[in-house]
Amino acid sequence: MLFVHLFSQHALRVSGSRLRLRRILSLQDLQLKMSHEEKLKNYRTAPFDARFPNTNQTRNCYQNYLDYHRCNKALTAKNKDPAPCEWYHRVYKSLCPIAWVQKWDDQLEAGTFAGKI
Amino acid sequence: MSSMLKVVGKQLKNHPALIPLFIFIGGGATMSMMYLARLALKNPDVSWDRKNNPEPWNKLEHNQQYKLFAVNMDYTKLKKDRPDF
Repeated sequence: MLFVHLFSQHALRVSGSRLRLRRILSLQDLQLKMSHEEKLKNYRTAPFDARFPNTNQTRNCYQNYLDYHRCNKALTAKNKDPAPCEWYHRVYKSLCPIAWVQKWDDQLEAGTFAGKI
Repeated sequence: MSSMLKVVGKQLKNHPALIPLFIFIGGGATMSMMYLARLALKNPDVSWDRKNNPEPWNKLEHNQQYKLFAVNMDYTKLKKDRPDF
C-alpha cells in the first residue's frame, strides 16, 4: 500500500536560561502554502491517492500517465504554461515500470496509443 | 411458491428451534447481497454507462474513503495534491 505518514513535531529547545517550545510546520501545512515549484522541489515519492487505495497501483500509474498528457494538451490549448503538469510526470515516473512508459511513449509517437488523451 | 412457504411454516411450528437458523442464514445472505449491490452501484471502478460516466474514479474527492475499513490511513488528514487543468 502506498501511503505517506504525515505528522507534526514539537521540538523542545533549551536556549540559555529559557525553555522554548517550537512547533515545526507539518507536511500538511507546507503543502497548503506551496506553489508548484515548491511542491516539485519537496517531492519525494508518489503520495497516497484516495482513488487507488489498494495494493495494486497499476491504474494509479496509468492514470497519472494519462493525466500528464491530458494536462499538457489542455494547458497548451489554453495557451498557458504547462509547468503544473510536471507533478503528474514525477508521479508516474515514481510508479510506473520503465518498460511500460517506453512502450506507451512509442505508441504515442506512432499514433497507436489506446488511451483517451 | 406460497405452498413451499406453507410447508416451511408448518415445519417451523413443529420445530421452533429452527427459527434461529433462518435468521442467521437469512442475515448472511442479505449481507452478501448488500455488499454485492454496494460493489455494483457505488464502486468507483465500475462504470455502467461508458458514454456519460467514463471515468467514475476521478469523481472521488481527495479525502473520500470508499473502503469499509481502512487500517493505518487517516483520510481526514489528506490534502489535495494534484494540480487542476
